[in-house]
Amino acid sequence: MSLRDRLEAVLARLVRASATERILISSASLLLSVLVGFVLILMAGRMTSCGTAAVSYFGVGFCYDPFLVFNKLFLGALGNPINPDFNPLQGEFGAIIRPGFDLLNGQLATTLSETTILIFAGLAVAVAFRAGIFNIGAQGQLVMGALATAIVLLYVAPFVSGAFGTLVLLTLGILIGATAGGAFAAIPGALLAYAEANEVITTIMLNFVATAIALYLAANRFKDPESFANQTVALPDVALFPNVVFQPRDDFSLLALGFAIVLVFAIWYLLTRTALGYDIRTSGIQPTAAEYAGVDAERTIVTSMVLSGALAGVGGAVYVLMVLGNFQTGVPSYGFDGITVSILAGNSPLGVGFAALLFGVLKSGSIVVDVGSDVPPQLVGVLRGLIILFVAMPEFFRLIGARILPENIAEPEQAAPDGGEVTDDE
Amino acid sequence: MSGFDRRQFLKLTGGSSVVALSGLAGCSGGPSGGAETTDNSDGGSGDDETTTQSTDEVDANIGMVYATGGLGDGSFNDQAQSGLKDANEEWDLAYEEAQPENVSDFANYQEQFAQSTDPEYDLISTIGFLQADALSETAADYPDQKFMIVDSVVEEPNVNSYVFAEHEGSYLAGQLVAMLTSTEFSAGAAETVSDEKTVGFVGGVQSDLIEKFEAGFRAGVADIDDEISIQSSYVGDFNDPSGGKEAALTMYGDGADFVYHAAGNTGTGVFQAAQEEGRFAIGVDRDQSLTKDSYADVILASMVKRVDTAVYNAIDGVVEGTFEGGNVTPLGLQDEGVALVYGDEIGSDVPSDVVDTVDSARQAIIDGDISVPTSPDDV
Repeated sequence: MSLRDRLEAVLARLVRASATERILISSASLLLSVLVGFVLILMAGRMTSCGTAAVSYFGVGFCYDPFLVFNKLFLGALGNPINPDFNPLQGEFGAIIRPGFDLLNGQLATTLSETTILIFAGLAVAVAFRAGIFNIGAQGQLVMGALATAIVLLYVAPFVSGAFGTLVLLTLGILIGATAGGAFAAIPGALLAYAEANEVITTIMLNFVATAIALYLAANRFKDPESFANQTVALPDVALFPNVVFQPRDDFSLLALGFAIVLVFAIWYLLTRTALGYDIRTSGIQPTAAEYAGVDAERTIVTSMVLSGALAGVGGAVYVLMVLGNFQTGVPSYGFDGITVSILAGNSPLGVGFAALLFGVLKSGSIVVDVGSDVPPQLVGVLRGLIILFVAMPEFFRLIGARILPENIAEPEQAAPDGGEVTDDE
Repeated sequence: MSGFDRRQFLKLTGGSSVVALSGLAGCSGGPSGGAETTDNSDGGSGDDETTTQSTDEVDANIGMVYATGGLGDGSFNDQAQSGLKDANEEWDLAYEEAQPENVSDFANYQEQFAQSTDPEYDLISTIGFLQADALSETAADYPDQKFMIVDSVVEEPNVNSYVFAEHEGSYLAGQLVAMLTSTEFSAGAAETVSDEKTVGFVGGVQSDLIEKFEAGFRAGVADIDDEISIQSSYVGDFNDPSGGKEAALTMYGDGADFVYHAAGNTGTGVFQAAQEEGRFAIGVDRDQSLTKDSYADVILASMVKRVDTAVYNAIDGVVEGTFEGGNVTPLGLQDEGVALVYGDEIGSDVPSDVVDTVDSARQAIIDGDISVPTSPDDV
């Protein structure tokens, strides 16, 4: 068997993997990345100098303790539920859950709040990917959604009050975010459909446009005169997501997470059970065939971009209405993380929920590591990257394999025939 | 048959990890035994050096939350860190440093420090005005925790705020360049173009704070000679040296003799441009002829902002038990909170009459005879 045949056989195996197998593969990758991370932390711990060893193995002292780092990274994101006295490895069997552990703690709120916004961003990118479009502009669309929501609600908020007012304002805010994000995404969509302008270029450039517009408006026309920062005036509480069971200071609302989960199922339904979803998916798989089957290619491109941008815009609206309470420049890179979330999920809406949760845990956990250990933040960033890379790679190869391999790979016993076109087997 | 050879795979991965582990023994560094903190020989600015002593053995536990951009910026955050380092030489401190990436993370970082019980932090220092909104919430939620903030005022009884008169220090920088741009002056690797009366200002992200620098600079220039044209440009980022270089090259190309920057690491590009064009630059926050010494032959002076003094004072208050929350400490020219420091290499070439004029302007501001505007619109 030549190397090429072998690689194709591996790819084919990945493409054929069932959902259960894919979950198992991802879990194994996660475990492997933790093991590699372990070695990295130990190595970094030999390269720096410190007073006393954090941990020693085989008589060699290390400055950083990998167990501590991963404990804080994963469990810290949940608010450290595990009792320190519970340590089966050392023969200590206390209660598993730490006494005084409050499930509704601030760190879990941070985790879920990140997850919520990444669900919107991930869904946005996934919809575009399914239509065969690389929407790198989710960040810009999200910024536009956030900006429009913060500005419009400022003018509307004084006219309503009470629980009903909150409902009206939240609905309006999300609609405005969706409209602004969708309209901003329609530009590259139309350019791609009617002028064949590469959407990767246009969306990247429009990210800068969005950031510049946001900076201009937040620094001049709508600036909060009381503040040094470039931010709009704070919205009144009536316009913000109510903190259902968490503390108000935690900037997280179960309502928003619930809405995100509902959207996950709605997008899944739209893609798999509706005519529009069929159009989107077929144009993504094989545009020429879709055209032949009566799909209006131009319209489908614009529609899927608008839908994608609207989802990103909703993410921006939720960021304003749940996390910030106003618009401030320097929006975190949710839109770019959404690309990774989507690939991690194999562009499946249902998978986006889980991928976003993994991202949320890593984001929130890295804060706990940063504050609670001497490990430099750059190293934590490397660990985060490793985990994402390992988990995403099998999915990534699956996508590549599905694209380049011939159709008749369903028979495992059959030797793989020559691939259609020459590709880089990297 | 999937085409995999499991044994081969194990041999490969197992082998590589053995190699990695055996390679560890060759790494330099590692713990030095039960001694106190060791000096770092790496010289990297990102290294944490925290003593791992139990909390009752040290004078104070300090938590630092730096501004976005983090350590290694050569100006703002590094200046704050040097205050911490100075205090650590004076007292026996244990400290933990954190570098948030986004403005929306500040609240979570502050909360992590405030609710920590192992160790209990005696003081949490928040660096930068963008932390103010988050801190006003955090400080109210943790009334027994002592905080300090730099560059902004948070009106809570457990927060000490430190603000600087950046406009006053920048006024002196403006005076200096205005007097030299119309004369023939050369020092180090740079010289002025005598027939052009032009100076430049490069800012990072446009905000009220950075505009204080610009306003003071403009006023200082205009009070010497209002014929001098002042070009100003905001790059939009505190960490974009190439953008800073582009902006400065444009200004030098238009005949600017001096470019003053308030742009963090973006200013490194300004120094590069100055070196290429053989003109002068004015540094900011720290004495950049020392911290960026490869450009010492073009950095005529720096407008130093003593963030380190603020951090040191707050730690001093906590250790000595004199910390009273709710205070606002303005650090201006009088108490060396801001100062114009001449370059280490070429600063001595500045004519003495120019130095005298700058000194008398400094005294006039302290005495209240000159009031410096804080917004460019008021110049």
